[in-house]
Amino acid sequence: MDWLFFGEISLAGLAMGGLYALIALGFVIIYKATRVINFAIGEIMMFAAYLFLAFAGGMELSAWIALPLAVIGGSLLGGVIEKTMIRPMLGESPISVVMVTIGIASILVGLVEFIWTANPQLLPSFLPREPVFIGPLYLAPKIAYGFLIGAALLIIYLLYFRFSRGGVALRATASDQAAAYSMGINVRRVFNMAWVFGSLAASLAGVLVAATGGLSPQFGIIGLSVLVVVIVGGLDSILGALIAGVFIGWLETVAGAYLGGEYRMPATFLVLAVILVIRPYGLFGTHEIERV
Amino acid sequence: MFRNILKKGRRLAGLGSLVAALTLAAPAMAQDKEPIVFGGSIPLSGVFAFAGIHIHAGLTDYTDWINSQGGINGRPVQYVMEDTAYEVDRSVAAFKKISGSHSPATYYGDSTGFMKTIASELNSQGDTLMSGASFATALTDNEQYPYQFIPGPSYSQMFGIILEYIADQGKDGEMPTVAFVYSDTEFGKDPIENGKARAAELGIEVVEDIVTKPGSVDVSAEVLKLRRVRPDFVVFHGYVLSPINEFMVQMRQMGLDTQFMGTFWSSDKLIIDKMGADADGYMGVMPYNYYDSEESGPMLDALRAQAEKSDPEAGYRPTGYMQAWFNAMVWTEVVKRTLDAGKELTADNMAASLASIEDWDTGGIIGIPVTVKDMSFPVGRIWRVNAEAGRYEPVSDWIHLD
Repeated sequence: MDWLFFGEISLAGLAMGGLYALIALGFVIIYKATRVINFAIGEIMMFAAYLFLAFAGGMELSAWIALPLAVIGGSLLGGVIEKTMIRPMLGESPISVVMVTIGIASILVGLVEFIWTANPQLLPSFLPREPVFIGPLYLAPKIAYGFLIGAALLIIYLLYFRFSRGGVALRATASDQAAAYSMGINVRRVFNMAWVFGSLAASLAGVLVAATGGLSPQFGIIGLSVLVVVIVGGLDSILGALIAGVFIGWLETVAGAYLGGEYRMPATFLVLAVILVIRPYGLFGTHEIERV
Repeated sequence: MFRNILKKGRRLAGLGSLVAALTLAAPAMAQDKEPIVFGGSIPLSGVFAFAGIHIHAGLTDYTDWINSQGGINGRPVQYVMEDTAYEVDRSVAAFKKISGSHSPATYYGDSTGFMKTIASELNSQGDTLMSGASFATALTDNEQYPYQFIPGPSYSQMFGIILEYIADQGKDGEMPTVAFVYSDTEFGKDPIENGKARAAELGIEVVEDIVTKPGSVDVSAEVLKLRRVRPDFVVFHGYVLSPINEFMVQMRQMGLDTQFMGTFWSSDKLIIDKMGADADGYMGVMPYNYYDSEESGPMLDALRAQAEKSDPEAGYRPTGYMQAWFNAMVWTEVVKRTLDAGKELTADNMAASLASIEDWDTGGIIGIPVTVKDMSFPVGRIWRVNAEAGRYEPVSDWIHLD
């Protein structure tokens, strides 16, 4: 056993897992507050990455201006989607709402193809290119810096949810909507806020992942990989999303390195199957989850 | 028709000479004959649209050009297509619709999946010859796909050309080592087994064999594997752009002096446009001269003139355009040979005409005369990116596999 190789592979997997955790966080925030399973999360990521391409590539803005603009654009898109397409569905069956999110995903793909064409794209390089070594272990710079940026947002989110009024309102609504409403919390605003925050996390992850793996209108398919993460972690558990994200990222990478790239997905779906049998509500999810 | 009459009328008035009028009106008179139809399932939208729009432009421009030359044996050519969004069911529906209404002599298929799916229907109909975007090795099986051909080398033959080039780089009796990197798709896996067998025949060691998940993925773990085996060459297949860029950038960051190569669909200018300076040194196998190459020839010049005429603003025409034009050239040659032999345009007769192509001069589209083998044109050349000049430049002679 080459432990150095295992260490490097594991490090790459954990770093990629950090980005999965960020996407999963976006998924869970929306689900936790609104009980909507957002199948358009991958396409929101994609849209934000295209916005970055437009700002940094087309308009030639500095990447460090383009990045926040793209992330804000993606989060505003989430807010608009909630207000115009999800809110009117309040009270409808979960299946109907899921179908709406799938429709939104298709619309976003079409919109992106219309604006930016179907050509594969690369984002302008904006992360440092010097190799990163942690002790003797090599880590690709894009993954390393992407992980750090993602981790910074995660910490900001956790602090916000713990200490701010908005964060408390969001957690209260997630715990009990009726009680939150009776305590004067504007639940509709919280719903919108959840979509904005969830989309913001996904948008940042979208730009970081696209910076590593390229961008095309099919980019949103990565959302399906993250669906595995949130089901394993528990649809309504932020802690579960973080742990499962990192774990699935590591597992995928290690399986790919030792068994071959074709075993990446089977490995993660095997874990998903086992978790669904043992804990159908996920590792950290609560029992009340209504399955659709 | 009305336009043709007007055209004819203007020509007559302008020239004022009976002889000249008769001469110049001949192509227009040809338009009255039954057209030869080129059909096509074309991916103008969907995941392959980046190539589909250029394929469509190539077929359209070729049709306009051949008609300006009087058509095929005096018969006009009509190009009839439907957008398929690169979905097999829509491609099949388009084929049925176009077959039912226009009886195409030849047909452009947009994917390997479609061409395999439609094979049994094509075989039973027996009146259309098909080629298209696919270079799949399977289509060289004449038993199963007797009426389908590949407008260039198959993916396995592309690997054969690449491996011959790599073998030529061996110095002091030492063969370079190679790693294959391919996507976990039917497209990606196509040439791998044949490529390994050919490498073994040439004495080239395949030191690593990496499959990547399709789509946007992090490949740093795969790069770490390659760092351990330090291949002299990495051959990519099954991609258009990503993750080729990531492999190249990360491996160079690690200080490796590996050279990188790819097959047809990953050897267009897109790589240069998107990767910029990082693309420098990347090599691809290409059966056709690039639009902006320094090569020339009567047909290549005609292609450039027609492309310029149809859209003066377009500038460089991608390899999809060249490939579509060459498809239509082969169709024309096959139809012409069949008609010249006094035979009907059946799939059997056209397939026989195709098989008879030997030392065919393509007028500069391909740099050497080509011979059909197993319903393919096993010829290509290795081109290397000169990032500063923003184009591919030839680094090998034309290689025609036996």
